[in-house]
Amino acid sequence: MEQKELIEHIEKNFKYKKEIKVIDGKQFTITVEKDKVLNLLSFLKLIDFKQLALITAVDWIDEKKFEIVYILFSYSHIQQILVKTFVDRDNPQVETVKNLWDVASMYERDVHEFFGIDFIGNDDLRPLILHNWKDLPPLRKDFDSLKYSNKMFGKFKKDEEI
Amino acid sequence: MILSSTKELKDKGFEQILDFFRKKSLWMLHYCTGCGAVELPPTMTSRWDMERFGMGPMATPRQADLLLITGYLSVKSLKRVIYTYEQMQEPKWVIAFGSCPINGGIYYDSYSVINRLALYLPVDLSIEGCMPRPEAIIDGFTKLMKAIEKGEAVGYKKYKENYEWYKKNQREVLERTTPVL
Ligand code: SF4
Repeated sequence: MEQKELIEHIEKNFKYKKEIKVIDGKQFTITVEKDKVLNLLSFLKLIDFKQLALITAVDWIDEKKFEIVYILFSYSHIQQILVKTFVDRDNPQVETVKNLWDVASMYERDVHEFFGIDFIGNDDLRPLILHNWKDLPPLRKDFDSLKYSNKMFGKFKKDEEI
Repeated sequence: MILSSTKELKDKGFEQILDFFRKKSLWMLHYCTGCGAVELPPTMTSRWDMERFGMGPMATPRQADLLLITGYLSVKSLKRVIYTYEQMQEPKWVIAFGSCPINGGIYYDSYSVINRLALYLPVDLSIEGCMPRPEAIIDGFTKLMKAIEKGEAVGYKKYKENYEWYKKNQREVLERTTPVL
């Protein structure tokens, strides 16, 4: 399907509240409520958006929200969809999508490690990349990377003796 | 190199002779996680031809003399570098490439990249630049050779003498149990 037909199809068949924005000829975003994400994703999977390319998050610290982004790709429509949802920053929780795509469990581990977002239903949220991390998740905006680096790895001073 | 007396021969002559030969055959193990590694292939191959100095790449730490840290090191790879270094046979030397292992370089504020390699391993030579050109690398290698010949490049002895200090620094970043901030 062309992008226009595709959007019409989604508008017509997915009845819950949503907001569709076109980015360019090959991409568009759909923003939905947090509890309707799973419905939307399974609906999109049915209309041949078979590949989950990435799950990632954005920290909107002033609005006290995390934005979670699911990037889907379809080889038959040659379209990319960014499914977005917002969760509360103090209690960040969404349902896992690992039952739809196996690969999601890795992405969720990653997002959990770097933003501290919980994925309900995913029982394997062990640390993936960082070594022995004990502080705030590092990609949160209130984590001070420079201060951490200076304290942890030593600040470089000019005349310091080794 | 002519030795003046038998006593000198006994004391350090033998070591000096060994050093003379050591500097002429350096096998290097390159730990290529940083961007500086890109400059090594041209240094090794025909354009700059490092082998005329008797240097060549070695596949295993057990038979290598030089450990090249080619750029930034994350905490996770620091652990592997320490394993590798401790597996190497003596005498062994460490060369740090670029500004990242000196003071953090452009990763000075990163939460996962160490700022200063000299705190964790004895660095014999640092080559500045982001990244150093093959000319600078070869210049660095010849400096190291001179230092080896004079018996000044003794990082591995320093590591043994100050083992506790190095281990303490390593443990501080690798086996932390409390939050930093
Ligand atoms: S010094 Fe520059 S080239 Fe070398 S690892 Fe750091 S950023 Fe990369």
